[in-house]
Amino acid sequence: MTNPACPWCGAPGDGASLSCRACGAAWASPPNPTDSGWCEVPPIPDMARIEFGRSTCQVEGTFVPVADMRLEAGDGVYFAQQSLLWKEPAVAISRMPLRGAWRRLFAGLPLVMAQAHGPGHAAFSQDAPGEMIAVPLEHGRSLDVRPHAFLVASLAVHYDWFWTGLWFSTRWGGIYYPVGRIMDRFTAGTAPGLLVLHAAGNVFLRHLEDGEALLVKPAALLFKDSSVRMRLHVEQVGQAGLTSFWGSILAPRRCVWLRMTGPGRVAIQSAYQHLEDDGGAVSRSSPSTSQDV
Amino acid sequence: MDPVRRIPCNWCQSQSLEDATSCRSCGAPLDVRDLISDSGWCEAPHLQNRTRIYFGNSTCQVEGQIVPVAEMSLAAGDAVFFEHHVLLWKDQTVPLTTKATPGGIKRQLAGMPFIVTIATGPGRIAFSRDATGELVVLPLHPGMELDVRGHAFLLASHHVRYSFVRVKGLCNILFGGQGMYMDRFVTTDRSGLLLLHGFGNVFQRVLKPGESIQVEPGGFLYKDASVTMDVEMLRLSSGFFGVPVMNLVRLTGPGRVGIQSMYHHHETE
Repeated sequence: MTNPACPWCGAPGDGASLSCRACGAAWASPPNPTDSGWCEVPPIPDMARIEFGRSTCQVEGTFVPVADMRLEAGDGVYFAQQSLLWKEPAVAISRMPLRGAWRRLFAGLPLVMAQAHGPGHAAFSQDAPGEMIAVPLEHGRSLDVRPHAFLVASLAVHYDWFWTGLWFSTRWGGIYYPVGRIMDRFTAGTAPGLLVLHAAGNVFLRHLEDGEALLVKPAALLFKDSSVRMRLHVEQVGQAGLTSFWGSILAPRRCVWLRMTGPGRVAIQSAYQHLEDDGGAVSRSSPSTSQDV
Repeated sequence: MDPVRRIPCNWCQSQSLEDATSCRSCGAPLDVRDLISDSGWCEAPHLQNRTRIYFGNSTCQVEGQIVPVAEMSLAAGDAVFFEHHVLLWKDQTVPLTTKATPGGIKRQLAGMPFIVTIATGPGRIAFSRDATGELVVLPLHPGMELDVRGHAFLLASHHVRYSFVRVKGLCNILFGGQGMYMDRFVTTDRSGLLLLHGFGNVFQRVLKPGESIQVEPGGFLYKDASVTMDVEMLRLSSGFFGVPVMNLVRLTGPGRVGIQSMYHHHETE
């Protein structure tokens, strides 16, 4: 009799451990979609072990979880410099070359990423409450991640970035990039790899069918499959209920969304930063769809 | 007659009655398995809501999970001291006094409090910090010395002596994440209670003599005075963009080390 596969990542189960060895999801927490199709990604249980290559990642803590990596000789991970919490002296740290340093600097992204090489232990965390999400990437799969959500990835995962091309300006003169100027792209090469993200608040996941579209608050987007297309959507807000002069002047006239079109996965986080201007006074934007009342 | 059987608490080493579900001295659950990682870090015990901790003739009850509150029921003659901004509420009958600590103006210049507030029983008083995290209960047995990151201490019982240690070495001051001073809590002939607030989750590890670990400076929370601390700089590149260095604190045993998983970055990084 074969053990059932993990309903979250599809990895085969071993029938012994309480959580999936590939993504850390508790076997007791299968996807339970809401009526609208969103599934809450369950927190990785305290002290759950995730295997990648010959190494393991143990997730510790609940409020601000820590990814404690046990790296075998020859294995390694890379990470943004500020996410290293502690390491054993035997773990060697080196710089990871990145393309487009000036552009990354301009976009407010980490300029330097570092690599940690086994053997030994090294641990990583973000300095914010939230959930840790472990995404095993199979050969050829790639994932687009919002800036600053990336925590650590195994060396088998190739890192790249791309311009989002999504922006809008307002009549007050500001230019805003609702998902950042640059998004991270992680792709598994010839071997499967592990990608660990840190999300603010709770995380919800939805599978979009081919051609299925969904509007998402831009600041809430956490990651998407690279197959999911993304563009701005500007919605006119009705003013019919406003009777006062100042109300009609100050009320938001437009609402900015991300229009996500399948096929693929989309994940959002429930805690997000508000843009200084959420799009109420949009004057111009990158190519977008629109919806009038 | 059978002697009363006792079980030790793995967190604070105090003895509790065999049928106790939580430690009298630190509140750690005794009926659940300790969470120890493969790398040897022990997660600070998750205190059950309304767990009671006993010190002197007084008790402390811990309430809440995300931003826990320490509610003290002070007996007559017992007292606790704290930084005034952690006070959440108190009975009208609990008098507050202030006490200057050694170091006065030097600590003020370093951004550390040099005046602490003392609450004396009888009465109830409660404390919390305004950040997500964990309460770390550290019963101090006689003769212990503990160094704590600045502003991490929530309160201590009046038998605990509060002083400070100057961080040695310019490099340690600039890049160690502690500034110029660390709080030092010392017990002499009587035991005491010390409560810290760690941002995020808190982990503790006991280092053997000569064993060392490198920690992000902002992640350091506390250590035994016997643990030495030195800043090390890891050079990552030739530094054209001015971020060539990663600073880590090397902590070398013997003794306990506590870290927090949500940490502060310093401008020097």
